[in-house]
Amino acid sequence: MIRLTWRLALIVPTVLAASIVVFVVMRVLPGDVVGIIIGDIPASSEAREALEEELGLNNPLTVQYGRWLWSMVNGEFGGRSLESRDPIRSIIGRQLPVTLMLAGYTVLLSVFVSVPLGVLAAARSGQWPDYVIRGATLGGLALPNLLVALLVILGLLIFFQWSPPIIYSSPWSNPWTHIQMLVWPALILAWEQSSHLVRVTRSSMLTALSQDYVVTARSKGLSERSIILQHGFPNARIPAVTMLGLQFGSLVSGALILETIFGLPGIGRGLVQAALARDYQVVQSLATCLVFLSLIVNLFVDTIYAYIDPRISRDS
Amino acid sequence: MQLTRIVTIVLIGCLAISCSAESALSPDVDTDDTSAPVQNAALTLPVIATPSLASINGSPDELEGKYGGILVLANRGDPPAGFDTLRTSSIALHQAAGAMFGPGNLVMRCRENMYFVCPYLATTWVSNPEFTEWTFNIRSNVYWHDGTLFTADDAKFWFELAFFGTQVGDKVRAPAYFKGELGDVAKVEVLEHEQLRITFTQRNPHFLDILANPRFKIAHPRHLMKARLEQGEMSISPMDVGLVGLGPFKLENYERGSVIRVRRFAKYWEKTAEGDPLPYLEGIDYVIVPDPFTMDVALRTGRLDGGARGQAHYITSQRKEGYDLDLGEDVFFAEIEGGNFRLAFNVLRSGPWQDSRIRRAIALWIDKRDAIHLVLGGFGWTSPDLGPTNIPMPRHFINWPKFDLGSLKEKQTEARRLMVEAGYENGFSMGHLCRALNPIPCEFLKAQLKGLGINLQLQMVDEGEWSRARISLDYDSQQGRLTPSPIPEGTESVYGRYSNNPDSYAKHEDPKVDALYQLLRDTRTFEGRVEAWRTIERYLFVEQTYVIPIAESINVVPYQAYVKGLVIPTEDAHTNTDFATVWLDK
Repeated sequence: MIRLTWRLALIVPTVLAASIVVFVVMRVLPGDVVGIIIGDIPASSEAREALEEELGLNNPLTVQYGRWLWSMVNGEFGGRSLESRDPIRSIIGRQLPVTLMLAGYTVLLSVFVSVPLGVLAAARSGQWPDYVIRGATLGGLALPNLLVALLVILGLLIFFQWSPPIIYSSPWSNPWTHIQMLVWPALILAWEQSSHLVRVTRSSMLTALSQDYVVTARSKGLSERSIILQHGFPNARIPAVTMLGLQFGSLVSGALILETIFGLPGIGRGLVQAALARDYQVVQSLATCLVFLSLIVNLFVDTIYAYIDPRISRDS
Repeated sequence: MQLTRIVTIVLIGCLAISCSAESALSPDVDTDDTSAPVQNAALTLPVIATPSLASINGSPDELEGKYGGILVLANRGDPPAGFDTLRTSSIALHQAAGAMFGPGNLVMRCRENMYFVCPYLATTWVSNPEFTEWTFNIRSNVYWHDGTLFTADDAKFWFELAFFGTQVGDKVRAPAYFKGELGDVAKVEVLEHEQLRITFTQRNPHFLDILANPRFKIAHPRHLMKARLEQGEMSISPMDVGLVGLGPFKLENYERGSVIRVRRFAKYWEKTAEGDPLPYLEGIDYVIVPDPFTMDVALRTGRLDGGARGQAHYITSQRKEGYDLDLGEDVFFAEIEGGNFRLAFNVLRSGPWQDSRIRRAIALWIDKRDAIHLVLGGFGWTSPDLGPTNIPMPRHFINWPKFDLGSLKEKQTEARRLMVEAGYENGFSMGHLCRALNPIPCEFLKAQLKGLGINLQLQMVDEGEWSRARISLDYDSQQGRLTPSPIPEGTESVYGRYSNNPDSYAKHEDPKVDALYQLLRDTRTFEGRVEAWRTIERYLFVEQTYVIPIAESINVVPYQAYVKGLVIPTEDAHTNTDFATVWLDK
């Protein structure tokens, strides 16, 4: 409990440090949100200066950071977008569920597919199922999401004259449209994620299956199924769970690309658009949220170790 | 090849003329407004019977519009700045804003011919002989989307917000970004009988042409905004008051990042010449599609009825092949002149390009025709001028006289001679500010100038940095931005001296440019203005070569063939975005 509290307490300085890094990086980056807002037309320097003042960009950097930080803790989540003037709280409220759903589907798909395949590949090591599974994972590891996404869309267009819907619907308002829209990015992301998971599960299963207790189990005459499920797999879960936690970062970076291509109004696409527009407030707020989420996910993964393997709880 | 292009352009022009000749659309005119003027753009001088230069999709017998249907269009992004037309000219706003806020202001660019000014929220107008006072009669049957009548006080509120901004205590709201274009306003008054008078400190003969700019949409309802502004809510935007506009469609809902849905406004005032109410459509869904590839696929599979306007979303000849392949005659392409590909020098920065002979040599060296295919996606033509977009003459793309009509070989020989004369026969290095969004023009220039011994060093920047750097002095050369000004005088903001406007393409402090623009302003006759503009062009593009116009681009937007009644502007994609005349034949 003390350890958990300590880990929770560490989140605060970590998020703070990350927010400072994001703030500094955004300000160091050359660029101008005022020019982006005004658009592709000449404007007087007077108009630019007035807009800068209205947006609070003429304040010292420390004041800008302080104001933003205060708005993060007082529940405004960064105030308003510089570009759209939308409250960032509502931006996060709108975008986060989309990304969480994409991430959720991806994790579900990759866990339900990769764990059995990893176990199967280990159990049939050196046989054709192993080769097929490893071959499929090679593709997932080697091909970038962007390329796969473009190929999928082109394939659907050329072979079926069909493309996914482009107006996002929540699962409550229109489940069928929601599925049609999210299934493709979820599958593409899950392919990449499960490729890692399959390989980790396979190798940890192979390690587990070569342990003395497995040899003992075999000598006792237990069935292969029983050996794998009751003795091998429980000991091979920890690396897979660790990998799942570590993959959160790559999941988010994959979402940045796929949300843009598949027209999903999630936090990934929002972050890309905001960064391109130099919408400092939005980038800082969204990036800080993602850092916070990442820390929570990893903390959660660490916490469930104890449930997966009681020896970890005893040791710690 | 060139002949083919010219023939094509002539055919397009003829098609435009024939289509618009059949057009039966006209603004609804109140019974007491039968004298509503249609004024030639840019001058209150001779009204010239120019050929119609807009086209309307649909053959003459199809121009009988059908009511109903939802048009689904791509929009390249969420509109910025809370949909505030006083803050942004972004096409991401203006493609959708035309439907909500209307195609114009008190006046608009005529649908039949965008080079004329038509009445919109005003029915008639008059100026004093000095052009310092403009008085408008406000239309009496215009309603805000919440049912409130639009009055002269509403117009006054908007103009004051645009001209002066507002101040409450120490809180300040800045004037519109286009304030400088409108002229120096002394006061705005509401007179009797719903008249609005705008008084300028200096003569402003071209005010109507400027006001017809489709970017100047009225999107700020006084009855919803005034009180909040007085309470100090200085950054209040149209979005904050529910996007209550005056256009043919009213907002149904906006799902940020996904879709803007607008639906027919039953009390919209405009009618066809037959007296049928506009708009025809039941509504429009603007789907936010930031990725052009996604837009192409969605259009080719029928999920979209039309493409987005905006750079990168305009299709290239290569992408057009994909459309032709999948849709054949079920798709048509709106072609809108979209500005110039140019090379402009920062002569305030030390380097060989400070020598006008070097700049002239570069101008003569570049093979401009190659730029059409290599840079402009196959859609474009070579042009001698960067503007004006709307000089008041029976102008066609090909009849404005060109400079440098010799063969490329002759021009390149002269270019080499000038390089030797200037002492740079072995060439030199020059930086070039380049938008990462579209690096092809930069690569084209780099390859071209290599032949002259010039090593063009590309300084790739994203849009955010481009917005900053192009108005700074941190570069040797760049390509500039659009100038949507409808009158030659307006181009001073981009060709004028740097100290007067940081947005100028070429950074120079040449006082002669000031004098030439003053000459243009002082000229009173049509012929004199044409001559004055030509003199400015010759000075800027030949004698000094501060800017090298390379080729004009054509922006191409795909639409499904069943989209009828679409008014395609000859130039400036911000025009005719109200879609009031559009109907679906399916």
